[in-house]
Amino acid sequence: MRKRKTSAWRSAAAVCALLLTAAGCGSGDDDGKGGHAPDQLGKGEGKVNIIAWAGYAEDGSNDPEVDWVHPFEKKTGCQVNTKTAGTSDEMVSLMKTGQYDTVSASGDATLRLIASGDAAPVNTKLVPHYKDIFPALKQQPFNSKDGQMYGIPHGRGANLLMYRTDKVKPAPDSWRAVFDDSARYAGHVTAYDSPIYIADAALYLMRAKPSLGIKNPYALDRKQLDAAVALLKKQHKAVGEYWSDYQKEITAFKGGDSVIGTTWQVIANLTKAEKAPVKAVLPKEGATGWSDTWMVSAKAEHPNCAYKWLDWIVSPKVNAQVAEYFGEAPSNRKACAETSAPDHCATFHADDEKYFQRVHFWTTPIKECLDGRKDATCTDYAQWTRAWTEVKG
Amino acid sequence: MAETETRTRTGTTATRTAVRLEAVTKDFGTVRAVDAVDLTVHEGEFFSLLGPSGSGKTTLLRLVAGFEQPTAGRIELAGQDVTATPPNRRDAHTVFQDYALFPHMTVEQNVAYALTVRGVRKAERLARAREALTTVRLDGFAARRPAELSGGQRQRVALARALVDRPAVLLLDEPLGALDLALRQEMQTELKELQRTTGITFLLVTHDQDEALTMSDRIAVVRDGRIEQTGPPVEVYERPATAFVAGFVGTTNLLRGEAAVRVVGRPGTYSIRPERILLTDPAEPSAVPLVEPEPPADGRRTVTGRITDIVHAGAHTRFTIALPHGDRLTVLRQNLTGLPESARPGCEIGLSWDEKDAFPVPS
Amino acid sequence: MPAAPAPGSRLRLTALLAPPLLWLTLAYLGSLAILLLSAFWATDSFTSDVVHTWNTDNFHELLTTPVYRTIALRTLSIAVAVTVIDALLALPMAFCMARVAGRRWRRPLLVAVLTPLWAGYLVKAYAWRVMLGEDGVVGAALAPFGLHGPGYGTTAVVIVLAYLWLPYMILPVYAALERLPERMLEASADLGAGAWRTLRSVVLPAVRPAVLAGSVFTFSLSLGDYLTVQIVGGKTQLLGNVIASQVTLDLPMAAALSAVPVVLIVCYLAAVRRAGALDSL
Repeated sequence: MRKRKTSAWRSAAAVCALLLTAAGCGSGDDDGKGGHAPDQLGKGEGKVNIIAWAGYAEDGSNDPEVDWVHPFEKKTGCQVNTKTAGTSDEMVSLMKTGQYDTVSASGDATLRLIASGDAAPVNTKLVPHYKDIFPALKQQPFNSKDGQMYGIPHGRGANLLMYRTDKVKPAPDSWRAVFDDSARYAGHVTAYDSPIYIADAALYLMRAKPSLGIKNPYALDRKQLDAAVALLKKQHKAVGEYWSDYQKEITAFKGGDSVIGTTWQVIANLTKAEKAPVKAVLPKEGATGWSDTWMVSAKAEHPNCAYKWLDWIVSPKVNAQVAEYFGEAPSNRKACAETSAPDHCATFHADDEKYFQRVHFWTTPIKECLDGRKDATCTDYAQWTRAWTEVKG
Repeated sequence: MAETETRTRTGTTATRTAVRLEAVTKDFGTVRAVDAVDLTVHEGEFFSLLGPSGSGKTTLLRLVAGFEQPTAGRIELAGQDVTATPPNRRDAHTVFQDYALFPHMTVEQNVAYALTVRGVRKAERLARAREALTTVRLDGFAARRPAELSGGQRQRVALARALVDRPAVLLLDEPLGALDLALRQEMQTELKELQRTTGITFLLVTHDQDEALTMSDRIAVVRDGRIEQTGPPVEVYERPATAFVAGFVGTTNLLRGEAAVRVVGRPGTYSIRPERILLTDPAEPSAVPLVEPEPPADGRRTVTGRITDIVHAGAHTRFTIALPHGDRLTVLRQNLTGLPESARPGCEIGLSWDEKDAFPVPS
Repeated sequence: MPAAPAPGSRLRLTALLAPPLLWLTLAYLGSLAILLLSAFWATDSFTSDVVHTWNTDNFHELLTTPVYRTIALRTLSIAVAVTVIDALLALPMAFCMARVAGRRWRRPLLVAVLTPLWAGYLVKAYAWRVMLGEDGVVGAALAPFGLHGPGYGTTAVVIVLAYLWLPYMILPVYAALERLPERMLEASADLGAGAWRTLRSVVLPAVRPAVLAGSVFTFSLSLGDYLTVQIVGGKTQLLGNVIASQVTLDLPMAAALSAVPVVLIVCYLAAVRRAGALDSL
């Protein structure tokens, strides 16, 4: 009996050792270069797996009129599988699974994906419509590295302030409504459930508390972060719920559980379509926002279809459709001619670089201050994550 | 408790009633389990309800305990109408066939339960529980759990639990059914002794005639929801009121019709207890042929038959004897001496009994 | 005494049992071991890649950061509240099913209790989200009494979790009550106990192991839940949420956090085992 026990222990130990070495193997490739960009494309693999923001890969299931997935499938023979992600963090972790070919990453995900080697360099020559992309979106710090593009710019826009017109009066024109004045709507304020939302508080503080010296909402030193966290904790008292699932925000606004808070244009549109009296505005302080890039996974199993998708999604017509549906500025300048609302590009300031200077695109906070300060250490995303946990308490 | 104080046993009023049933009927759906039963149990009596399974005797007991409500009739305990009184307010405790001890309580807690329920102080409770355990000879078992006891020990715990607050009536539902023979016989003596020393009225339900005959002051034989006969054991045994009683209480040779005429010599239904028949040597002159029966002068009847089977059962031997015309008689012989040579299957043998031992039973 | 198996049959038995045992070791214990192990690794804060350097920083942070203690306590309280509520609801319900309802009704009632288990978890949680919302039926039902619905938050989480896990409590309690011999109740009444006394002294002790067994389910399921709280929890954060959000960013930290419910459940199981409830699982 005793002997059997020892041998059982020994085999258990052997199994553990095996698992350990197996786990150790995974850490081998730390060079972080996500492979090489292809020189030419082959035949489509018949399938492409996409990670997208809500509204980026519509197949008519939300609105039969809104469908650019089926035409793509018909044209290329690539079957599209879409996974909708609610936050950049979700996108990063989904990409790490290696099961997806392409992702519509925002600026706070792109650099992380490039650094971790999960995103591959993109050969823009293989994306014919790349030439029509606004020059201001090309070779940006968030989508390229050492002159090499790591994706195709998709579009950009600002996070808006949405409110119930019947419950919130007077109409707000400042983020103050969800920060310093949030108590007025106690229990019914909503906010985006991601550490990146700290930037929204920082952005508000840039104006409300100039003494803090915040120049860039993604470059916060310890003191500045603490101030933002304090503001968010104050807001927390008034928050009814946080959202990262856009469906959840729609039902919350529709039901009146949320009456004011941050949103995307597409959510505002869908909520209005549900006959809820809501309005979305860009407050006077400006806003945080996003500039999205379609990236290709370094482990893509269907790279050819992924490239076809990249070209399709920035083709003038589709780019116009996405931009109008989601409520953002298209990246393809020819798309401006294709929008159903003729002034869409003007409304969303597609080529208005001055406007976009007021919009602070999501980017990943790192130790080296992004605002160029050399005398300070900034807080990185890990610290933001912890701070966010603390805010929610 | 007021209830317990009202039933102080004076001992002077000789036969006060402990349990009285008046025309009690119990139907389960369309099945009549108890049919207009009248029954009186005297105070301090050891009374048994004897009957085969399904006869309704357990239902009778459950009616007295209050677990069942009669369809019709009236039930009295100690002179008080309890027909509508719930079990917890009747001054009677039950010893269940499977004992129904509370498995999560110790022996002591089980025994003290009735006192705990009544709010008796802990010290007194424990003292009385230990006293009850002493009565059933289970000292030193107080801290055990029922699962740690043998069948006989559980049986004693169940007894102690039911006796601890000295109820007016103790109801026992086949209490010895689960015990082996030796233990059963030991417990029979003990139960009787317990009843005598405590003076509590015992109402016992059993299908075992030995048990009933051994312990009871009186027996009621139950059949198909009715009482066939009530009386002291000797009376029930010796003078069964019906053929059923004769057959159920003890073994008997029941003779009716033609067989009665041939064997007993008279028409009617007769019972002859097997132990009352004497075996005689057929060579003896007192043995007369069976063909032409005539009453013998000394009041004994003798017949001849052939032994077909002999079963040696310890203290006695059972013979099966075939008479001419195919009648069969069972005979019990005390094994006071060895068997004679002639007592072998196939041998012819003489039988004799007192005419009075062939007593008529209503059929 | 059964005869010792012949050498051939022993070999066959080994061959038969080896795959499931291997599976258990590798998939179950192995993944648990890896999880615990990875709690001692670090993570690259920028790329979220796991860095295989051995350290105990995660546990240090876990134990020294007040917010984690708050969240762990909140999670624990919710799990306890859900368990207590389920026990209080399950006892009378199971009692009605097993003892009061006619034999004919038992099976339909049992099915009725089990039916919600067949519906999707998310469907039920979202149904509650609608019901508990500002214009939901719960608020509407309470309005005539001048009361407000609980809205989204901790209370809502407790309500919905209690609803979700109730069958796991009812089933063992029902089984225990059905197993409880009628004789026990009769014996108690016979010895002078009223209904309440019998319930307290006989029925409850008899179903106690079943309640504890059920509580193992309600407690551990509540402790690990993170979806319900996302749906009806409003801004409430539980351990499950923090783990879920950390898994994407900081796997080692998530692993360290996962150790908290694991430890809590192991402690709970140990306590319940002492009370002898695992025998009835």
